[in-house]
Amino acid sequence: MSGICRSRLAEERKQWRKDHPFGFYARPDKKQDGTLDLMNWQVGIPGKANTPWEGGVYKLVLIFPEDYPSKPPKCKFVPPLFHPNVYPSGTVCLSILNEEEGWKPAITIKQILLGIQDLLNDPNPESPAQSEAYVMFKKDKVSYEKRVRQQAKENAP
Amino acid sequence: MPRETHLEATIGRPLASTISKAKVLMVGAGGIGCELLKNLVMSGFKEIEVVDLDTIDLSNLNRQFLFQKQHIKKSKAHIARASALTFNPNVNIVSRHQNIKDQEFSVDWFKSFDLVMNALDNLDARRHVNKMCLAANVPLVESGTAGYLGQVTVIQKDETECFDCQPKETPKTFPVCTIRSTPSTPIHCIVWAKSYLFNLLFGNAEDDDDEVLSKEDSNDDETAKELAALAAESQALKAILESAGTEGFAQRVFDKVFYTDIQRLRGMEDMWKNRKPPIPLKYDDVVSQSDNQPTPMDIETETTTLKDQRVWTLAETAQVFSDSLNKLTARLKEMRATDPEASVHFDKDDPEALDFVTATSNLRAHVYGIEEKSRFQVKAMAGNIIPAIATTNAIIAGMMVMLAFKILNKRLADCKTSYLVYGRHRPQLIVSEPLAKPNPKCYICRNSYIVLKIDTSKSTVQDLIDLLESNSLVELEIQENGRVIYDPDFDDNVAKTLESLQITDGKFVDIVDEEDRKIIVYLKHM
Repeated sequence: MSGICRSRLAEERKQWRKDHPFGFYARPDKKQDGTLDLMNWQVGIPGKANTPWEGGVYKLVLIFPEDYPSKPPKCKFVPPLFHPNVYPSGTVCLSILNEEEGWKPAITIKQILLGIQDLLNDPNPESPAQSEAYVMFKKDKVSYEKRVRQQAKENAP
Repeated sequence: MPRETHLEATIGRPLASTISKAKVLMVGAGGIGCELLKNLVMSGFKEIEVVDLDTIDLSNLNRQFLFQKQHIKKSKAHIARASALTFNPNVNIVSRHQNIKDQEFSVDWFKSFDLVMNALDNLDARRHVNKMCLAANVPLVESGTAGYLGQVTVIQKDETECFDCQPKETPKTFPVCTIRSTPSTPIHCIVWAKSYLFNLLFGNAEDDDDEVLSKEDSNDDETAKELAALAAESQALKAILESAGTEGFAQRVFDKVFYTDIQRLRGMEDMWKNRKPPIPLKYDDVVSQSDNQPTPMDIETETTTLKDQRVWTLAETAQVFSDSLNKLTARLKEMRATDPEASVHFDKDDPEALDFVTATSNLRAHVYGIEEKSRFQVKAMAGNIIPAIATTNAIIAGMMVMLAFKILNKRLADCKTSYLVYGRHRPQLIVSEPLAKPNPKCYICRNSYIVLKIDTSKSTVQDLIDLLESNSLVELEIQENGRVIYDPDFDDNVAKTLESLQITDGKFVDIVDEEDRKIIVYLKHM
């Protein structure tokens, strides 16, 4: 692993330990040998208040590549989420997580998680990633909201 | 006349004498290594150690001139030694057919050299040697080539930038969205064809650590997982696969992939607001166009040598598509007769696989209005081929020896980073710049390296913490190669022995304290 990647992830861990937004969690995954793996993080993102997403804490894994922060981490909802910009596998399609679009090495884990939280209730219809949520979002807002509220309940912490 | 006479006349007796006594480690005996070893034995070096874990391959022989046909599959290090000794038998060369990362190559072992020279081809080994040389405080001559380009530099702890001071460019990877739905360049189509469609048709859906987008990036198997997950989703195509070998199979696959799937993607209207939508393509439409055109076979006999070099017509492409698809499915069927789990993996040197990837990537390019590529171009792009050029390696290896002379002559200040550049608007081929100072934020070289002798089988993490705290380091974080062993929020491991956490002889442990002081502890078990 490159020194740059390692030092940055250690720094991210330190900053998160010192301060992080309310309702979120983020920690390196525990390995079988009992140590923590800085390359893979488990995170939770709360749905914003006064939205159908409220009440749920949505779980993701963040997988950091060797050349992070030159390249963005892969962010994947586990289990996959009902959302227009989430692939059936759970991977989030978001411009700031795309090396060819909005990713910058200066973007912190905190900013990524806040960005994904924003995306929850503010999907980008120009990059649909799953047809189920996308079609319902476009054609039947009432059923869509109902489904989102149901999902929030299932993801209550 | 002794063979040293000219050397002494050129560089002077004192330096020639220093060189003859210097102990040099050469890591890598491949493209640059062969040139370098020849240079070393011909320029007065007498004590050389060569380490390379690789064996000789047919494709090495055009440039790695210390090797010949009869050496294929033998150790590069051993053969390089034997060949170099025929140029100059009065040199002591130790060759090791081993990985430089092996534990026995400890910091103490590195300290036994006056100079280390890297002739490597991958980032991982370079990073390792960089770190060992920093810990051992031995100067390192670093080198690299890619096609017509090359560079050499010197790394010396506390004096220059280390290998890890600046981020290194790595092969580009592509987000799944781009590959699956919105390709915009030829490489997107090629990656789709070889990593997604190829695995879907000829691999196991469960194969989730397949060869993927770029070889160097270990995280790619995650991308492969993603692709596999998407693959599993495509139930419709699987149903078609059941009919492999029957009449019209190629047409059904074609229409599914280039018509139905594209039709569905087009249905997501918003996706195409700011993009050119793809145009679905039907097999019959392509083939009916071709009735009046010569078949690919005819064309091949006309312009045999050029078939690889030119872009095929749509009809030719469709023909190659169905031929290669049928051949590959037949091959797979045969393999599965003995092993039901068998799969065909993409290999750029497998003509049918390359045909298939060329045809499907170009059909997809056509659908999306992207430039199509020749089979030759697709081979280079799909195989991530970086041409290796003997001349480049020779120039770089020559410059490495020049740097070695300067270092041994205690003239580090005169060393420069040199780049071999080609095809730019400037007259000189070699551009040099002064060695850069260490990046003050570098995690690898801006640390104190400490050797800690400790019984790793008895000592616990808590013992290590106590030891560090008694040296007035508080609020510690302890990590080893990306693993958090301990920090103020994580004390699960304090009672464990170091050995049980695989923190053993030869490992580097990173310590950071409250004030961001960084120490790298090199463990010596005793």
